[in-house]
Amino acid sequence: MSDSFSWWGVLSAVGVLTGLGITFGALLGMASARFKGEENPLVEKIDALLPQTQCGQCGYPGCRPYAEAINQGDAINKCPPGGEATILALADMLGRDPAPLDGEAASEDTVAYIREAECIGCTKCIQACPVDAIIGAAKQMHTVIEDECTGCDLCVAPCPVDCIDMLPRRKPLTQWEPIVSDRQPLRSAHAGL
Amino acid sequence: MPAYDFPGGIYPPERKERSNQAPLRTAPLPSEVTLPMSQHTGKAALPCVNVGDAVKTGTLVARRDGMVSANVHASISGTVIEINDSVIIIQGDGEDRWATLPPLDWRTAERDTLLERLDDSGLIGLGGAGFPTYIKAQVNEHHAIDTLVVNAAECEPYITADDLTLRHYAADVLEGAQLLARLCGAAHIIVGVEDNKPEAIQALQALLTVSADSEPLASVTLKIIETRYPSGGERQLIKKLLNREVPSGGLPADIGVLCHNPGTLLAALHAVRDGQPLVARVVTLTGDAIIQPGNYWVRVGTSVDALLEHVGVAHERLHQVVVGGPMMGTPLTSLEIPVTKTTNCLIAATKEELPPAPAEAPCIRCGACESVCPAQLLPQQLHWYARAENDAALEAHHLFDCIECGACSYVCPSAIPLVQDYRSSKQRIRHKRIETAKAEHAKHRFEFRQSRLAREEAEKKARRQARLAQQQSASSDATGTQTAPVADLRSLRIAQTAAKAAVRKAEKVLARAAAQDPQQRHDDLETQLATAQENLKAAEARLAEARAASEQKEAP
Repeated sequence: MSDSFSWWGVLSAVGVLTGLGITFGALLGMASARFKGEENPLVEKIDALLPQTQCGQCGYPGCRPYAEAINQGDAINKCPPGGEATILALADMLGRDPAPLDGEAASEDTVAYIREAECIGCTKCIQACPVDAIIGAAKQMHTVIEDECTGCDLCVAPCPVDCIDMLPRRKPLTQWEPIVSDRQPLRSAHAGL
Repeated sequence: MPAYDFPGGIYPPERKERSNQAPLRTAPLPSEVTLPMSQHTGKAALPCVNVGDAVKTGTLVARRDGMVSANVHASISGTVIEINDSVIIIQGDGEDRWATLPPLDWRTAERDTLLERLDDSGLIGLGGAGFPTYIKAQVNEHHAIDTLVVNAAECEPYITADDLTLRHYAADVLEGAQLLARLCGAAHIIVGVEDNKPEAIQALQALLTVSADSEPLASVTLKIIETRYPSGGERQLIKKLLNREVPSGGLPADIGVLCHNPGTLLAALHAVRDGQPLVARVVTLTGDAIIQPGNYWVRVGTSVDALLEHVGVAHERLHQVVVGGPMMGTPLTSLEIPVTKTTNCLIAATKEELPPAPAEAPCIRCGACESVCPAQLLPQQLHWYARAENDAALEAHHLFDCIECGACSYVCPSAIPLVQDYRSSKQRIRHKRIETAKAEHAKHRFEFRQSRLAREEAEKKARRQARLAQQQSASSDATGTQTAPVADLRSLRIAQTAAKAAVRKAEKVLARAAAQDPQQRHDDLETQLATAQENLKAAEARLAEARAASEQKEAP
């Protein structure tokens, strides 16, 4: 046994393993520097679950900042436009307990509407809009681009003449929702055939 | 019989003899028509007439909006009395004066002229889906088409509209098929007919033996298939006739096939040869509560109520009116609705004929639904997931490959309305997709605004700094200690390089998307590019500011 022992063997093994360690360490280090992710992936995921109304009802200036705050440990129940569904989705993803919504849930999908005859062209609503959905210029009438409006309410408060209404959004005919009626067609049809 | 076949299928009672005995008749001219703007797949048409305008039969009253959409024409002559978001109502003058387009010869006319004619005539698939025909006719610009299938299987019980169309207009249907085969470059035409339509088959066979010596542009084959529901499904028929399988989420064009309904082919020929826009179609009026069942030429926009009155309805026995067949159709909650381009059948059913369903019982996992599914899905699994609203699992189980044929609910011993569940799940998932896309769009716009504000702020600061530096060098007042702390130049330069890279990346992504799909608009990608550009400008402004500050510091 002892004659097969040689310092050379031990040293070469130590040397090879150290070399491998250094090489792969360097490779990993370089890779982490080279392919460094700029963003926190969790924040991205949280942001994707938020409704992106950018309404600020959570107390943060937009959905992304709230996503960052949630990542830092803030409560997940501060998003009224998202409602129950968003809270449940967030709770599910983050492994936290779902809590009841802090605030009033949005009753329906709304869109801002400027009563154009009354608009004085102060541009205050334009500055308040988080998604640039209002067009107009100083002393010119303003109007809302309906498709871009998220219904966040942020333009209502700054208006000095109160000419902005939040109206229910019109739905295209193609976006129907099934009605469950007592006359169930397919079943009745089939049962008779 | 060909050796190939599609899986599943059922044999429901056909009940076609009620409506296929009488010859094709013409329904009386309605006194008023209601023309919906959305009778087709895609965007609703936009009205192009005003209230009070006099129109003739065939006058264009609504123009298509965008690519996937179709024109709508007045189906009677008279006056426009109402226009709102979804319909145009025309009061008839009873004279039926026509406004036709100049006739064309499809053999000699330019391809573009023919396509334009199909488009102008508001032609859509009359089989049910209502896809604009002019788009389908130019599909060979993206896919090589070798076979045109005439889908005359008409597998759904009760309906005999295609059967009667073929009996009366077999030659015209085949000519229409030649026309569309020419447009899409198909060399073969296959007519698929179920064996329960002997008269239609006879008419076609007589024609094929005659026209063998004349020079047909595309070879025509007649294939008679076994009667089994749903062999008239596009995918099922292609599998049966050609043994080719349409890929999941794909179209028949992906495998070189195009399917057309006989009614569509006839309408295409009328549009080209006679210059008649699509204003009438063949509708099967059947059911036990109807006194004179049969097939009728009906003007589009005729109210269902008026039509049923014309053929006579035994009101005391009428239980419900179903539009479409009993398998895939929907019952009407009101008869005050118009016949559209896609209404192929109206069933006025008695209670004995289509009795109310028994109460739904729990699923017993018998697996009957699975063995009849023609799309080889797992209806039972889909049922559980649909009830649990587990959308991810539904999509993983290919819910969107369901053709909603209703075979599964037909065989279900627990009378579970499976297809209803699938339909509402599909709609819910589509709705969710729209919402997600909207949220994504709002997010990009928000990010763009944030970066624009940041850029404005940075530029303002940079200008102020530059001004300050100028003032100081002019007065050479060497008390530069209270100037803003000089930011780390190196990290700012890195930020600027990163911003530049981000702009390049956004440009590349946009260019790639534009190359892949030049017709699509890429608003979100453009917003992302603009955001990156704003970020770059902000980084440059910050760098300029820091440079000015550092120069100012060194200057004294």
